[in-house]
Amino acid sequence: MGKEYLGEFEELILTMVGILAEDSYGNAIVAEIKDRIGRDVNLSAVHVTLYRLEDKGLIKSHMGGATNARGGRRKRIFTITNAGLAMLRAMKEVRMDLWKLIPQLKIAGS
Amino acid sequence: MNKENKSIPSPPEFARNFLEWFCPPALYEGVEGDLLEEFECDVEQLGERKARRRFLLNVLRFFRPEIILRNKLSFEVMNTIMVGNYIKVAARNIAKRKLYSFINAFGLSVAIAFCTLIYLFVQDEKSFDQFQVNKDLIYRIHDTGFNLEKYKRGEDPYERFAHLPAPLGYAALDELAEVQYMTRYSEGGEGVMRYQDKILKQKYISVDSGFFRMFSFPILAGDRDHLFRNLSDAVLTPATAKKYFGDEDPIGKMFTIDIDGERTLRVAAVIQAPPANSSIDFEMILPIEASPWFVRNRERWSNYSYPTFIQVSPGTHLKTLNDNLNRLYEKHVDADTKKWRERNLVPGYKGYEYGLTALKDIHLEKKIDWHKVSDPQYSWILGGIAILILIIACINYIALALTTSATRRVEVGIRKVVGAHRKQLVQQFGFESIILALISMIIGLGLVALFLPFFNQFTGKNIELTIIGMLKVSGVTLLLSMLVGIFAGIYPSLYLSGFLPAAVLKGRFTSRLQANFTKPLVVFQFFLSASMIICSVIMYRQMKYITTKDLGFDKEQVLVIGTQTGWNEQADRAVEKFRNTTKGDTAIQGVAGANFSFNGGWSRNGFRVNGEDKNAYVYRVDPEYIPLLGIELVAGRNFDERIASDSNALIVNEALVKEMNWTDPLNEHLNWREDSVGLGAKIIGVVKDYHFLSLERKIEPMFLSINKKEVGYTTTLLVKIASNDIPGNVEHVNEIWTTLFPDKPFEYTFVDEDVARQYASYTRWMNIMGLSTTFAIIIACLGLFGLAGINAVNRTKEIGIRKVMGAELASIFVLLNKQYIALSAIAFVIATPISWYIMTKWWLADFQFKVEVGWELFALSMLGGLALALITVSYHAIKAALINPAITLKYE
Repeated sequence: MGKEYLGEFEELILTMVGILAEDSYGNAIVAEIKDRIGRDVNLSAVHVTLYRLEDKGLIKSHMGGATNARGGRRKRIFTITNAGLAMLRAMKEVRMDLWKLIPQLKIAGS
Repeated sequence: MNKENKSIPSPPEFARNFLEWFCPPALYEGVEGDLLEEFECDVEQLGERKARRRFLLNVLRFFRPEIILRNKLSFEVMNTIMVGNYIKVAARNIAKRKLYSFINAFGLSVAIAFCTLIYLFVQDEKSFDQFQVNKDLIYRIHDTGFNLEKYKRGEDPYERFAHLPAPLGYAALDELAEVQYMTRYSEGGEGVMRYQDKILKQKYISVDSGFFRMFSFPILAGDRDHLFRNLSDAVLTPATAKKYFGDEDPIGKMFTIDIDGERTLRVAAVIQAPPANSSIDFEMILPIEASPWFVRNRERWSNYSYPTFIQVSPGTHLKTLNDNLNRLYEKHVDADTKKWRERNLVPGYKGYEYGLTALKDIHLEKKIDWHKVSDPQYSWILGGIAILILIIACINYIALALTTSATRRVEVGIRKVVGAHRKQLVQQFGFESIILALISMIIGLGLVALFLPFFNQFTGKNIELTIIGMLKVSGVTLLLSMLVGIFAGIYPSLYLSGFLPAAVLKGRFTSRLQANFTKPLVVFQFFLSASMIICSVIMYRQMKYITTKDLGFDKEQVLVIGTQTGWNEQADRAVEKFRNTTKGDTAIQGVAGANFSFNGGWSRNGFRVNGEDKNAYVYRVDPEYIPLLGIELVAGRNFDERIASDSNALIVNEALVKEMNWTDPLNEHLNWREDSVGLGAKIIGVVKDYHFLSLERKIEPMFLSINKKEVGYTTTLLVKIASNDIPGNVEHVNEIWTTLFPDKPFEYTFVDEDVARQYASYTRWMNIMGLSTTFAIIIACLGLFGLAGINAVNRTKEIGIRKVMGAELASIFVLLNKQYIALSAIAFVIATPISWYIMTKWWLADFQFKVEVGWELFALSMLGGLALALITVSYHAIKAALINPAITLKYE
């Protein structure tokens, strides 16, 4: 698992699933991305990525309860797994380590 | 449920259906929900129209491999849970109704086997010469000539022949840059080959050395590059070499061959024998330069005897090549030939032209006569018959599945109540028919293996099943069975799955089955079988007519023996010697000589009388010929060797008299040699017309002569033997022959066999048609048998009640059978005109002498067919009629 790498978009979606917790499903993630980073993403792309992350075992899903909205269709709710959290954490740490190696003052100076 | 939805805006229905179709069911609800939510949002923000458009666009965006591919696995396992159950139910159903399952499976397997055989046949036809490496570069030149007689008869006036002047080959090679190799090719040669004590008649072909460079027949031993430098070189196939030299190394062996004089040849190479699907066939190859008469014809542009093959360089433009060839004709062909052609030409037509046929097309180019040439039409017809038989088998399956559906109603009802979708039921029934088709396939493959030898015999082919061939055939049958399974299963499964569970389970359904929809199916399949029966009967009658027709001569017990001497005086001496030795022998009733046997070839002479072109066949005979064959003389007398002038006299047939408009033929002369002085040959007798040609042709003008110098030598010995002990008498003739001519092989045929061989291809077609008809009838009868059985079972109670009320056995029998008889009668009425048309326009059109196709023939076929149908259905009718009514009515 640890050898797996995530793409930028995959990482974004995984993070969003983590953020939204019990209310993360396709549309909510699209809206959240729009709200937080102002980026327009396509619903189908989000779905495809969610399924892929599920295949990798980073998130899991279950069907939520039916409501009157959505034509009575239930939501597929995604939640992040421990492996997913570990993956996010590991990626963050790697990035921080790398960030520290950048000689920032020099760049600013030249 | 969604009633309030009607008023609110809704997304396009087809987009949702589309999504449902491609989206994996596990994901579908979540995806559709998300899309609907977005749609609702869009309606508020953008209005309904735009929202609908965006919905559609979003659905389309989901149509991507990442989503669709998630389907693959789930499609296959869609019914994994139920498949086990389907197999179990199918097996139980098959076991429960053993007879009907057998009828279904057997009918299907017969059909599959037949189709597979036809597939093999067509495949073999198409495979001819495909093994040749240079098949796209080698062409056979042919000439297209104008035929005045055919023109007058209103047929296609152009004739195509592969036989060409000998010098053409070298002219093409020398003068045309695109021609790389050429070989002349002469087949049908025969000589007496001798090596030590082995004396056998041996066939050979004659070619140029280019043959070995052009055609891909591997040289197994010997030097390919220097073959035929020496005119005494001979190339043998391994089988021929073994025949003469046994296991010794054949290379360098010397043997003698007698082809118009004895020569000594040396085996220069051994060449691999051609496969059965080759248009080039040989046992032994000799240099054409050494073949008899070749020296005389080598430079003659007026003699047409030598088929010629050329190999062109890659990328040659065919049209240009053809034009160049025609230029050769203009340049070389002598003035006399050109003049003769012009005289026989109608203005507006082309007199003469060369054409090319690619090697790979030779086999199916039916316009040019060639070894094993075949008509592509036959493949189409056979393919058509195969499909028809397959259709009949499928119809049987459909009809039987429908008529047994009564018993499956409850099953369908219960499955539906428990929650089966209609789709699942369709799948279930489709699955059952595919299982049955697969069982049939296994039986069918067995039948193919079993029937292949007979099929080969019938079609005159030599198809073998190799492992690769077997795999291919298995693939084809698998495809066929899947097709049959799906095609035959689809209607019954749609029909069965359509029952309403409430109606079925309430028990209000009668157990009687409405069999109306099966009637057109029965009529259709009986129509097909009826047409085939009629066609076969007509073919059979025609063949019977041909073999029993009085040909005008006595063809029984006449042996035909080749004198094996070549075209010279010795042939006449051999006949004379044989006659003198057997004089007074009771087993031998007559000995005659002729230059041709029946079907052994002919020679036709064209001559000009009073400015008109006439044609007549000419045969060399001896005075014994006419009495031996029992040919009737209607005027004049037979030849007499004691009268010297008879050597220049002729006996003609009635057709010639008519052609010449003679009133008193015995006082006429026929100047057939076109002598400038004298009247020509005197006519001394007229024979009644007899069929010296096959019955495909009219009796044409013909004359007989005993003049050996002008007409030829008696190379064929005819021996009439006594009928008391035919095998013994043949053996007796053999003994005499061997003592008289120890160096000549004794090879004989009977005249009646020779005559029958003219119709070999027709007989073959009759056999194939008979076979197809048998298959079709078996399958149709099986189907009818099944249907009748179900009908009888359906009416068991009715019959019981009728019997209690006092119905006679006979009336019940009639009651059960009359509808089938009516159906088959209708089928026959439709089939009659159609098959009549096909047979008279197509098959019989080839014969000048044919049977009358009268009404009694159709009546006979119809009675036969009806009797067959009646026998088929009677079993059930009698069984049903004989049951004690107490048994059937007990439980009511």
